[in-house]
Amino acid sequence: MSFGFQLVHARPSRTWTLLLSWLLFSLGLTLYFYASQKRHHENPEDRVMPTVSQMFHGMSDATLKPAEDDDTALADNASLRQRFFASMLWTDTVATSRRFLYSILLLIPAVVLGLHMGLFPYVGVFFLRFVLFFDKIIALSLLPILFIAFGIDELSKIMLIVIGVTPTIILDSFNLTRGVPNEQVVKAFTLGASDFDVAYRVVLRQIAPRVLNSIRLNLKAVMLFLFAGEMIASTNGLAYRIALLRRHMGMDVIIPYVLWVALLLFLVDLTMRLVNRTLHPWFQEA
Amino acid sequence: MPLIAIETLSVAYGTPPRPVLSHIDLSIEEGEFVCLLGQTGCGKSTLLKLVLGAEMPARGRILIDGTEHNRPDRTRGYVPQKYSLFPDKTVLDNITFGPEVAEFNLLTRFTPRYLRRRRQLRQEALRYLHRIALCDADAPKYPHQLSGGMQQRVAIAQALVTNPRILLMDEAFSALDPGTRKDMQDLIRQLWRDTGITVLFVTHNTREALYLGSRIIVLAKETADDGARIAMDLPVPEPCHQDQIPRLVHRLELASGCVRESEEAVMATAIA
Repeated sequence: MSFGFQLVHARPSRTWTLLLSWLLFSLGLTLYFYASQKRHHENPEDRVMPTVSQMFHGMSDATLKPAEDDDTALADNASLRQRFFASMLWTDTVATSRRFLYSILLLIPAVVLGLHMGLFPYVGVFFLRFVLFFDKIIALSLLPILFIAFGIDELSKIMLIVIGVTPTIILDSFNLTRGVPNEQVVKAFTLGASDFDVAYRVVLRQIAPRVLNSIRLNLKAVMLFLFAGEMIASTNGLAYRIALLRRHMGMDVIIPYVLWVALLLFLVDLTMRLVNRTLHPWFQEA
Repeated sequence: MPLIAIETLSVAYGTPPRPVLSHIDLSIEEGEFVCLLGQTGCGKSTLLKLVLGAEMPARGRILIDGTEHNRPDRTRGYVPQKYSLFPDKTVLDNITFGPEVAEFNLLTRFTPRYLRRRRQLRQEALRYLHRIALCDADAPKYPHQLSGGMQQRVAIAQALVTNPRILLMDEAFSALDPGTRKDMQDLIRQLWRDTGITVLFVTHNTREALYLGSRIIVLAKETADDGARIAMDLPVPEPCHQDQIPRLVHRLELASGCVRESEEAVMATAIA
């Protein structure tokens, strides 16, 4: 049966690609503003679906004024720059970014551990079973234990991310290391390399682009655990703000915040992709 | 004393153990070009890996220049069929890798002496590059930008630059097209004559073995359950006359079990 057009063999033109790929975005926006308009027609005080001007007001407050629970006093003649750096959005972003950065840095030892597990059999047998066990624990179920053990300050939130994401990264680096052809390792030894030369100059360099891709895939998991921690026990941060504003039905700020987080994550991912491509020009994405 | 001495070597894999090689006795003198010939699965690659030190024998031992080596090291260079080059390093870095790791460990790489020495090593590597008929423009390329033949050329240079006494090649030319393969055979023959290195070359191609080797070892299993033994140990006459080749090919293929009984009679009459 033929529909008169191709499915698998179709070749959409540039115009069609452009049109179709943005269609759902425009459809979503149209629907939102249509519904929002309608609600405001019935109740001008509606807070559930804020209009563009409401969100603009909400965000201009968020980007120019300190948060309500922030004691920072700004002089009346403070410049726009000073206002921005003391604002709610900026302080929240900085707080979340700092935690995010620490978590990413803590993934480096995970990669190194995975590498050693994959390459040195004794390290492998020592850690593998334990990491596999640890990997199966639902990190969020540990949250109460973490809060009790480490208190509700920064440490417990970072530990949550570490416990949630490191096993995946360790196992992934381990598997990638095992995936390096044995010929490469043998060849390096015949050229006079030491065990650590093989680990760091042959194997690590070869798995590096794939490890970076794996970290990119796990960025969402990192953010998920970070947000869970911030929403439950924190006094600042983007997720804390979103959870806080929920109580006041502050949708005019929540929606832009959600989009802001998505944009930030997209930028981090893009940067990592570009860095990966620049650092590893030899890498053929299979 | 032979350079490589293999003494009553046996290897078995799996549970229950399935013998792969049994009772191999072999001694190889310095400067020989030994071709290991046999059918797929007869254990010729295993024997090479044992000499390499990448695998351990169940029984027997292998002496390299009188001592046992239980892991791959600088005495034996290695050129496998695939994955012979480091994909993350340029052609030049692939060649200088050996000398670099020999002189510098992970920490001393960060000294100024390393930078000076590296410049010298790169000059040396460029000379090697010319010897294997590559040009300066190929030096900054990554392996994936080279053809299969070029990659194997670089792999040979990479193995030879550290001056090993033994070169082990595992089906090194089997993935190449016939023209390139011929060039590579000429190249390795030339390098063997120039350097006097001992070569152990695994192949399943009888003509390749005859063209390259100064001695051919045929491995074959008597029955399917037995481990492979040395079925024939043939010194190749030098120079080898063209009219001798079909007869030698036939003898070797007979030994490795390529030719069945019925075909054998036909071949025998054809040669006669």
